[in-house]
Amino acid sequence: MTLTAPSIDAAEDVAQAKPRIRVWRWVTGTVFTLFAIQFAHFLVTNERFEWPVVWEYLFDKSIMEGIRTTLTLWLVVIVLGTVAGVCVALAKLSSYAPSRWLATAYVSVFVAIPPLVQLIFWFNLAYLQPEISIRIPFGPVFHSWPTNVVISTWTAAVLALAIVESAYMSEIIRGGILGVDAGQTEASKAVGFGSGVTFFKIIVPQALRIILPAWGTRLVTVLKATSLVSIVALTDLLRSVQEIYNVTYQTIPLLLVACFWYLVMVTVLTTVRNQLERRFSRGHDVGGPARTGRVRTARRQANRVAVDG
Amino acid sequence: MSVNGVSHEKQEPVLRVARVRKNYGSFTALDGVSLDVESGEVVAVIGPSGSGKSTLVRCIDQLVGIDGGAIYLDGELLGYERRRGTLRPMKNARIAAQRRRMGMVFQNFNLFPHLTVRENITEVLRRSHGVSKPDADRRALEVLDRVGIGEKADHYPRRLSGGQQQRVAIARAVAPSPRIMLFDEPTSSLDPALVSEVLTVMQDLAEAGHTMVVVTHEIRFAHDVADRCVFMRQGRIVEEGPAKRMLTGPATDELRDFLSHVGSL
Repeated sequence: MTLTAPSIDAAEDVAQAKPRIRVWRWVTGTVFTLFAIQFAHFLVTNERFEWPVVWEYLFDKSIMEGIRTTLTLWLVVIVLGTVAGVCVALAKLSSYAPSRWLATAYVSVFVAIPPLVQLIFWFNLAYLQPEISIRIPFGPVFHSWPTNVVISTWTAAVLALAIVESAYMSEIIRGGILGVDAGQTEASKAVGFGSGVTFFKIIVPQALRIILPAWGTRLVTVLKATSLVSIVALTDLLRSVQEIYNVTYQTIPLLLVACFWYLVMVTVLTTVRNQLERRFSRGHDVGGPARTGRVRTARRQANRVAVDG
Repeated sequence: MSVNGVSHEKQEPVLRVARVRKNYGSFTALDGVSLDVESGEVVAVIGPSGSGKSTLVRCIDQLVGIDGGAIYLDGELLGYERRRGTLRPMKNARIAAQRRRMGMVFQNFNLFPHLTVRENITEVLRRSHGVSKPDADRRALEVLDRVGIGEKADHYPRRLSGGQQQRVAIARAVAPSPRIMLFDEPTSSLDPALVSEVLTVMQDLAEAGHTMVVVTHEIRFAHDVADRCVFMRQGRIVEEGPAKRMLTGPATDELRDFLSHVGSL
């Protein structure tokens, strides 16, 4: 159908309109700039920052050692936490009630107690149980070790952080598995897949996309949480700067060294995380599998309107 | 075609549903349903929503357990086995093996979105039926061509229209040549404009001699394609018989009432 276009005043054609004048943006912009200049001035002129000292220690050997410890600890905690998190998540989703109770208790306890408290607790385990042994409960002992040998500073740190992490991870993973449309499990059963194929080939690939963003956030959180281990004398990045400023009393510049490296590591991690997320959502519509039903319904309604109209 | 018939000249039915009961809490979804399906027969199951017709096919495919009665596929009891005189549920692996002899088509298609159209079929053939990769690929393309989706084999399901997705789902179910095909309202979530392409594919399967149980709201399809029609209401089979006769001249008031509501042929 063709309609004759009504005539308009050429001066009122919106195509030639200028942008709106926003006074308050100019005002706040000016204020922010003033503050920024003030802050930069403070950073540069305040001699207590001791920038030459920062520079002197930035690539110090002991600092590099500290970074290495922090990163190793981070990696071990992430791997153990994720593996244990999968197990706890599956236990919580099990149809066997006792395993659900156990998993629920595990998560509530280890999420509730502050990681720092748990760290000190594990570190002092030898007091509670001087020997760790492999034995049948109340039966014969096969072998035993002194707790102080098994639970070193390193194992106490790994244990405490990995247990806390597994509790958080299990909730993230459980949410991801539950987020996969129930019809997928049904279809998988209907085509004769066993429970292993259903889980690893149908559920996991779809759950990953839901899990990944939250998991990526945990990567950063754990990296920062590793700084807690300095309390049990494990020489991570924070501890390594502390050991220096305890002698030289150059507290602020050495903390700045630690801040700089934490900032670098977190920035790299965040970038990697964003890349991963982008890769996993490739070829998909907005939203994860949990939302496809609604997307599909919306599209169907749109189609229907188009057909009806 | 008698329901409880032990006629000697007739071979064993492919599917026998015998006095099946299913409760959801205090709600009785199936209240003693019995149904035999012969080889090559197409049975349409119709009825108002909540009548138990979807529950029936889901019970047959062992997706929900039953609370009483028994279901047999080629004379073999589904889901349970007798060991030393005691009847117990089978292990999941054996139930999976029984499901492989049935093909199921869902209302919401339920294609695997992370696999391509072709992989949706080849993965089933390879993992559930031990078919080699080249054979699975060949078979997948063959069934996809048959439902008219051959050129979309390497697309992801999300890129397809609802009708196309459902045709892929039918191809996936039929690819392993199951003993029986079960359809759970296959056109209920489709745009009206896309219904006929799916029904055409189903009619094609019926004419090719597949044994089918079709839960549907499409009375025209039931009339034209089904050999036999089953009308369910409140968890019971109220009327059954040859589809054409039953849908043009219903014997019960319930069916007459239902047909007047869903629209005449």
